Order: sequence, then C-alpha cells, then structure tokens
Amino acid sequence: MENFALLFHGFQVVFTLQNIGACLLGAFLGLIVGAMPGIGSLAGVALLLPLTYKFNPTTAIVLLGALYYSNMYGGAFSAILLNIPGDSPAVMTALDGYPMATVKKRPGQALFTANLASCIGGTIGMIILAFLGPALADAGLHFGPAEMTILLLVAMTSIGWLVGSNPTNGVVLTLLGILVASIGMDLQSGSPRFNFGNVYLLGGVKFIPFVIGTVGFAQVMKLMDEKDDKAKESGITERLTIRGSLLSLHDVKRILPPAIRSGILGTFVGVLPGAGATTGAFLGYAVQRAFKNEEPLGTGAMQGIAACEAANNAAAAGAFAPLLALGIPGSGTGAVLLGGLMMWGLNPGPLLFQNEPDFAWGLIASLFIANIFALMIALGVIPMLLKILAVPVKVLIPIITVVCIVGSYSDTYSFYGVIIMLISGVCGYLFEKSGYSTAPMLLSFVLAPLLEDNMRKAFVISGGSTSKVFFNSAISTVLTIVFCVLILTPVIRAILKKTGILKGKKTK
Amino acid sequence: MKKFAAIVLAALVAVALFANGTTEEASSGFTPEKDVSWVCTSKPGGGSDIFTTQIKDAMKANGITNANIVTDYITDGSGEVGRLQVSTTNKAKADYTLLTFNSGDLMPMVKNTDNRVENFRPLAIMAVDKQLLFIGEQSKYSSWQEVMDALKNGQKIVIAGSKGDDIETYNKLIAELGVAESQLSYIANDATSGAITSLLGGHVDLCMSKPAAASQYVEAGKMKPVLALSNNRFSSELLKDAPTLSEFGYNNVEVPVWRGVTAPKAMSDSAYAYWAECLKKASETAEFKAYLSKNGLEPMYLFGAEAEAYMLDYQKTYLASIGK
Repeated sequence: MENFALLFHGFQVVFTLQNIGACLLGAFLGLIVGAMPGIGSLAGVALLLPLTYKFNPTTAIVLLGALYYSNMYGGAFSAILLNIPGDSPAVMTALDGYPMATVKKRPGQALFTANLASCIGGTIGMIILAFLGPALADAGLHFGPAEMTILLLVAMTSIGWLVGSNPTNGVVLTLLGILVASIGMDLQSGSPRFNFGNVYLLGGVKFIPFVIGTVGFAQVMKLMDEKDDKAKESGITERLTIRGSLLSLHDVKRILPPAIRSGILGTFVGVLPGAGATTGAFLGYAVQRAFKNEEPLGTGAMQGIAACEAANNAAAAGAFAPLLALGIPGSGTGAVLLGGLMMWGLNPGPLLFQNEPDFAWGLIASLFIANIFALMIALGVIPMLLKILAVPVKVLIPIITVVCIVGSYSDTYSFYGVIIMLISGVCGYLFEKSGYSTAPMLLSFVLAPLLEDNMRKAFVISGGSTSKVFFNSAISTVLTIVFCVLILTPVIRAILKKTGILKGKKTK
Repeated sequence: MKKFAAIVLAALVAVALFANGTTEEASSGFTPEKDVSWVCTSKPGGGSDIFTTQIKDAMKANGITNANIVTDYITDGSGEVGRLQVSTTNKAKADYTLLTFNSGDLMPMVKNTDNRVENFRPLAIMAVDKQLLFIGEQSKYSSWQEVMDALKNGQKIVIAGSKGDDIETYNKLIAELGVAESQLSYIANDATSGAITSLLGGHVDLCMSKPAAASQYVEAGKMKPVLALSNNRFSSELLKDAPTLSEFGYNNVEVPVWRGVTAPKAMSDSAYAYWAECLKKASETAEFKAYLSKNGLEPMYLFGAEAEAYMLDYQKTYLASIGK
C-alpha cells in the first residue's frame, strides 16, 4: 500500500508540463532511434546525455528513461518490415515478424502485434518494478556467475530448434558464431585473441554491424538475386491501411497468453546482472516453444512476435530495479544512465529510494506514461511505415543499402563497422544460399561471450570444481535440472520411440 | 548595397579578431584558430568522458581558451585505434588535437600494441585515484586480519574487481603477500559495478574498488572497507578506518590510477606550452575542484615535462612488471 502511495506521488511529480513534454519527446525520439538500425538505445541515451546536464535531474531522467524504454518499440519496425534487427533484442522479432509481413502478407498485423505485446509486457514489468523493485533487485543478486552460467546454457539450448531441418549445418554456424565472438580482448587476462596483429580487431567484432550485415545486407543481395519482383509485391497493397492492419478478437486472444507469460519472465531476466533485454527476448521465445502455437514458430507466428517483444520490453523495465535500488546497471544503457545520475549530482546506490524519492518514483511513473505515449505514436505511424512495403524492390534495394551502411557506421562512428557489415553480409548471403540458416550463428554470437565470462568466473570462484558450479546453490541446482531435462528429453523420447515403449512416429 | 555589406563584414571580422585578442589568457605565441579535436577513447558517459567534459567546461566557463573544442569518441579496437591515430597525427593537425589518457589506457596499450608514451607529448596529469578492498554484508570475514589468518590456514579467497589498473594492483598484492594466484584468486569484471554486484550477492569474499564507486554502499552499511591499497590511510570519514598493508608488517601496495591529457608527438612547442598552460589554469578552477571531491579523486597536478617524466617512469615500471 505504501508503494501505491509512493507511485501516486511519482505521478504527481511527473504531471508537470515540463516533465510530460520531456516524456513525450523521449518517447518520440526513442521510437526514431530504435527504428534506425545501428543506433539503438545505448547510442541514443549517450548522445542525448550531454544535453541534459543543465536539466533538473527528474526531467532529465524522464526524458532519457522514456527514450530508453520506447526504443524497444522502435526496434521491431525495421526487423519486421526490412528484416534488419536494429538492436540485439529484435533479432528474435525478425524471425517471425518478417515472414508474417512478407510471406503471410500481414505487415500491419505484425507491427500491431509487436506494439501491443510490447505495451502489455512493459506494463507488467513496470507493475512488478513498482511493487517489488527493491526485493527483486535483492533476489537478482543471488544470481552469481555460477547461476548465470547455467541460465545461459539453458538459453543456449534454444539454438537446438533454430537449426531447422539440417542440424549439421546449424552446428557448424553455431560454432562459427562462437569463434567470431571470441575475437578481441580476453577480459579475464586482458590478452588479445585472434586479432592477427590488427589493432581494430583488438576491440572484437561488434554485434550491430555484424547483425546488420548477416541479416540486412544479405537480404539486399538476395533481393538483387531475385529477378522476379512481382511475387513480393502482389497482394500487399490492399492491406496498407490502418483498418486493414487491425487485429481481430481472435488475434488478440492468441497474443495475450504469450505476452503475459513473457512479460513476467522478461521482468525477472531484466533484473539479473548483465542479462538484459536480449537474453529476455531469447528466453521468452524459447519458452513460447514449449506452448501450443497455432502456426509453427519461425514461419510468421503471431505468438512468436508477441513472446519476444513482450519479454524485451518487460526486461527493459526490470533492468531499472537493480539500477534504482542498488545503483547497479543491468546493461550498457543502464551504465550510461548511471553516469548521468552522477552528472546530475545524485548518488546512485542503495540509498537512492530513501534520499531521492521524487526522482526514483518520478522515473517509474514516467515509464508508465512513456509506455502509453510510445504505443500511441507507434500505432499512429503504422500506416506510414507500411508504405515501405509498397516501394518497388529496385528502389528499396538502394534504400536498405544506405540504411545498412549508416547503421553500421553509427555504431562506432568509423568505417570499421561498415567493413564488418559488408564482409558479414557477403558471408550471410552465401550461407543462406547454400542452405545454412544464420540465426544460430547470431544467437551463439550474442550468448557465447556472456557464457564464457560467467563460466570462467564461476570456475575461478569454485577453484575448478564442476559440482560447485552446477550445484552451487538451490537456484543453480534447479537450473541444472531444467537444463538436463531440456537436453535429454528429445534423446530419451527418441530411444523410447525406437524401442516401441512410446507410440508415435519414429524420429530421425 | 554591396559596399555596405563589405563594410559590415569587415567590421565583423575586426570585432572577432579584437575579441580573440583580448580574451585569450594563456600566452605562448600560439592562438588556436581552428576547431580542436579532443579524442576520448571510451564511450560517452564513461569516466574518461566525464573527466574530459569537466575540463572543457571549466576552460569555457572561466574564459581560459576561446577555442571551439569538440570531443571525438574513437573507441575502435578497445581505444587503441584512437590512441594510434593521435600518436601519428601530422603537423598540420597536431596543434589542434588532444587526447584523454589514463593509466588504464597506458597499460593495455603497451601490453598489446607497439605504441608507447614516447609517441605522444604528455601534457598533464590532473587527478589520481587509489583502491581499497571491501567486504560485504555476507562476507565470511570481518577484517583484513581475519583474511590473512584464513590465507595462512590455506583457505581460498576470491577478490572481484575491474580490469586494467585493478589487475595490476592485485598482482602487486599477491606478490607482496607471497601467496599463490590459486589461493587468493581474482575475477575481472568489465566495470567495478560488476564486482560490487558479486560482493553484495555473496559470491566473492572481497571487492576491489575506488572510493567513488563504493562510498554509497559503505554509507548504506552494505560494504565495509578492510584494507587501503595506498601508502597512507584515506582521509575521508567513511574510509579512514581501513588500515594500510604496512600496519600488518608488509610493504604498502599502491598503484596510482591517474587521469591525464596528452598530445600528438608532432605538436609544436608553442602549442604544447599553450595547452599545458590552459590545463593548468583549468585545474585551478572551482569547477574542477568540485569534480575531484565529488568523485573521490585526489588532486595530482603535473604539467608539461613533469607529466611526461611521470608517464615514462610509470610505463617503465609497468613494462618491467609484465616482463616486456
């Protein structure tokens, strides 16, 4: 009840013309920044931060919080319409979003699904944040390197069903993803790895240009390859209105359960140290796999879009719990916001809620408002965005190429990103052309460094003992059991089917 | 009309030149006439960026220079690309290029590349930070004495810290204590916040941190300093109870974490004198002093040749410690 009163007070703080204006501006800029591949919330917040130095801290955080939050909405746009995930959490959105927009010719509904799920997931995340924030942050602390290692192993199992019909090809690309991710500096020893004397490679291969190339630029090459444009364009134009994009009651009923589930799951993942929205989206999608889906995931399933979009928005909200309650940033963007708090003269840390209630609760209240603003703006621009799909391929190709180049350049403001994008684009195209799906490579590229870092820390702490990592605490024991069940179930099922104990079709 | 425009233009140019001549305070025969690029090799919002912005603001607010200074973030190759670029900047641009350069930049640079302090013209060292070891609420030990007793009994202890300077401090600590890496182990995090998270969660026994990152947690009673990795005890109220290593019969371990500014090797003498003077004046401003106290940094003012000698000596000691 006390939290309710404090949240109400937070709304009172935010309801000034200045703060509402900042929130609206933040939501608007966040959508733009999110929709532009390569810029993302980290760069968006970092670029805007210097402008807020002279602001009052509450207005400044309302602006940046709204920007960070609504950025998660924008990330889905380019993923669904152009198959270019602008930010790492949107990789999973593209898996179903793009097929739904192009193959199923329901682009409007795909965007609507993404935005509605984002709103539901985000609202759940904020409610949990408002009422359980500090407790949740404390719970997150129980996830040490050992627990994170097993959680990431669980997330890695989702690669298993991303490999598609050809598991060997999938494994090859998964390993390639891990290999590429290991280029750069070894964090534990500070020694260079696989940089071949190149000073640029010391910093590793950056994710944004890598993903823009592998997915986006490969797409451009594929479009150039396809001589016949007609197949893509026909049938879409008649649905390019807001009315044609609305979801039916049946659709809403379908997306509600995954959105609510992912909303709760995503919030908890967002709280974990260093996990962030990307792991949230991956796990949300992985969990959705376990539930019944009307259409198979990966072929343009609404539930797939809803599951990962709700999870990543919820995780973005959840990430504020350790930031506000303990002063611990859950992501790169969180770290920049933390830098901002210090610039504005506040001391982030365990005393922030006590010392600066206006600020902390004002921020939480502003997230609720930003959520509504972002949804309204996003729904308003859908008809305009849909026009992208009506653009003829010959015009679209140069546009996407420019988007790819600008996006990969703006990640580090250098041509290194552009070169990475071009190389990974050519490789991605060749892989897809030869029947290798690149999704497992992207997944392993994102998760492997996190897994490596946590696993090595866990082994240093345990003194090399495996049992102290996998059975370190109740949390790690439970996660280890979940992990074993996940990897052993298909094997046992196959054996049982082979021996005739379990009836059904024999697996391969 | 044309005549009138020409007169107005000439008047404007004259006023601009006059203004330039009167407010320029640092005198060395060099006056910046172009935009200045101040290279920062870490991301916006980080410690280096805040340091850079504070100096820029202090210079602007106090009219120390009229130059338009633009921060350029060159973060490729973990910052090595930016450092290499500045070290090789040619004559035409050298007078208009500055680089924020810290001990945490020097270490990976000399360890992983052939770039050396000799390839720059160090301008200033303006602040220094030192570390402490902290215990958390859930730690098994309550003082450094207990930690040492546990080490003597052969127990394993884990310290969490950040990368760069913290790893160097840890290496010096185990060398001084004469314990094996496997007994007093270290896990490196991308940032100190990661180390604090591990300590608060009870996953490690000790955490290495600088005062600024830890003070809120000490105030809230979640962390307690047990050892000052410095030649003297810290003076602040929160940290003064932490003993130094010499109080336990060992030599003190201190690796000063400094923040400084360098210029390209090709910078002219007059520009070098000008910028060293500007930085010196900036260090004397109230804005800069407020920045130091807010971030728990200690003043350490070395300019020009003094800064160069210090950085070279630091590099020599570090290279010897890693056997290079």
